[in-house]
Amino acid sequence: MFKLKVSDAKLLRDMATAISILVDEATFKIESDGLKLRAMDPSRVAMIDFEWPKSVFQEYEATEPTKICLNISELLKLLKRAGKDESVELGLDDKTGKLLVTIMGKYARKFTMSMLEPSEEEVPTPKISFNVKAKTTTSGLSQAIEDAQLVSDHVKIEAETDKITLSATGDIMGATITIQKGTDALLDLEVKENAKATFSLSYLSEIIKAAAASSEIATLEFSTDMPVKIDFQQAKEGKLTFFLAPRIETE
Amino acid sequence: MGVNFKDLIPKTPVKLEDLSGKIIAIDAYNAIYQFLSIIRQPDGTPLKDSTGKITSHLSGLFYRTSNLVEMGLKPVYVFDGESPVLKAAEIERRRQIKVEAAIRYEKAVKEGKPEEARMYAQASTSMKDYMLDDSQKLLGLMGLPWVQAPSEGEAQAAYMARKGTADYCASQDYDSLLFGAPKLLRNVTISGRRRRGKVFIEVVPEVVELSKALNECGLTYAQLIDVGILIGTDFNPDGIEGIGPKTALKLIRQHGTLEAALPHIKNPTFPCEPNQIREIFLHPQVTDNYKLDWRDADEQGIIDFMCREKEFGEERIKKSLERMTAGSKKQKGKVSLEKWFG
Repeated sequence: MFKLKVSDAKLLRDMATAISILVDEATFKIESDGLKLRAMDPSRVAMIDFEWPKSVFQEYEATEPTKICLNISELLKLLKRAGKDESVELGLDDKTGKLLVTIMGKYARKFTMSMLEPSEEEVPTPKISFNVKAKTTTSGLSQAIEDAQLVSDHVKIEAETDKITLSATGDIMGATITIQKGTDALLDLEVKENAKATFSLSYLSEIIKAAAASSEIATLEFSTDMPVKIDFQQAKEGKLTFFLAPRIETE
Repeated sequence: MGVNFKDLIPKTPVKLEDLSGKIIAIDAYNAIYQFLSIIRQPDGTPLKDSTGKITSHLSGLFYRTSNLVEMGLKPVYVFDGESPVLKAAEIERRRQIKVEAAIRYEKAVKEGKPEEARMYAQASTSMKDYMLDDSQKLLGLMGLPWVQAPSEGEAQAAYMARKGTADYCASQDYDSLLFGAPKLLRNVTISGRRRRGKVFIEVVPEVVELSKALNECGLTYAQLIDVGILIGTDFNPDGIEGIGPKTALKLIRQHGTLEAALPHIKNPTFPCEPNQIREIFLHPQVTDNYKLDWRDADEQGIIDFMCREKEFGEERIKKSLERMTAGSKKQKGKVSLEKWFG
């Protein structure tokens, strides 16, 4: 048995949006201390690590640890029906074994949704020692990524002591974006060792776009030719972190 | 036709684009047969060049394979070598079927029955040496590796996957599992809308994992081979009368081995010692003498061969080539996070 109530539907919707960019079927763990999800996209290039402690919820009841698997785009459809200031409650419909989504506002709406077979896979945390830690505004980061996307489908990110450079080379155009430490876009930068790595822009932009709704500050950590870890600071408590594998040119 | 595991074994649908970066060892004979059988005109006539040589296999090989490369997959085709002696009966059986089908095809054409003609034409599909030469030449021009197996192609592909030089084996036959392929992909080269008799059905790629299959059936790998032998393999195509997949599974689960199950079977007959069949699966003839290299396609070479020599339409070939090059460039360098899971 579980009952998870969120006072503002938008919170839940933004969370589901962020998850939906990587997975179609999301296996959530409902544990005594909170709601968790960790999953990789089907091509196993990117990973999402999400946690909402109990305190994020208006009500949180979980009699025993449970795993539920939901078709996340279907869930999003329901959540999109919820307006501002409406609350959403997720529970189990005893009779049918389906997920019961109750949207409460001016009036009460109950939806049921079939659940899927939960994934048995336990996704580990990538083992990486990071040499660069950059604190950016999500909007600043998003702008830089959009610039790079004009010319190519991948971007090289380089960090030196006082700046980060994004460079992209396409067939016709090239772009170099320099962000100095201490500006609005780069609030802080710690560099143990200069580093550079190349990433797919479509993944980066999807991840940032999806997380932007719930986060204003993003912390990037990376090392040369290693995955990047992007941690999106949440307005309330909670964790929304992505890992994205680099592109490594073999020749 | 391989062992009939269809109903016993769990499969998971998979999107090919999600396998980007993975090495797929494709059972070449199996794929080429599929192309020859499927790629035909409505009345069953295969594609031909103006000298009358069949080109259906080239069409399938080129368009399907370029599609895989475009999605970032790394195909390697594995060709059969000498068939094991034990396969003689199966080969003869297949030849008979083809001879018969060819006669019925002629008859259906004469009687003006295109549906039937198409069916018999497909059943009469046979592979000629020139088709293999053509196929290998095309793969070379596409910059793709191919491997000559000493014996069964499936066995070699499974061996490569077990060693880790390939991520998946692709074949329609479940025999790959008996050869120990850890992950078998089905419907790779034939996905899309396919005709089954009069109706069209949607065929989607699916993956069968050996470990999951064994788990689900409650069998060891050796026991799975025994189940296969009871149902019938390429080396005892008739199997045992009255024993289908479910009974075979039950018998091996109950008695543990083929030998222990035999006393409980009425008239078990085999074309040879069952242990000989088991040996082919457990210790097939394979080779380490291969090198896997993926190079850029020789676009001009492909156009010369496919369009000038084999008379395919240049525009369509060029378009596929463009897509293939653009796609593979985009996928290049992609690595999985799993590399860092340690």
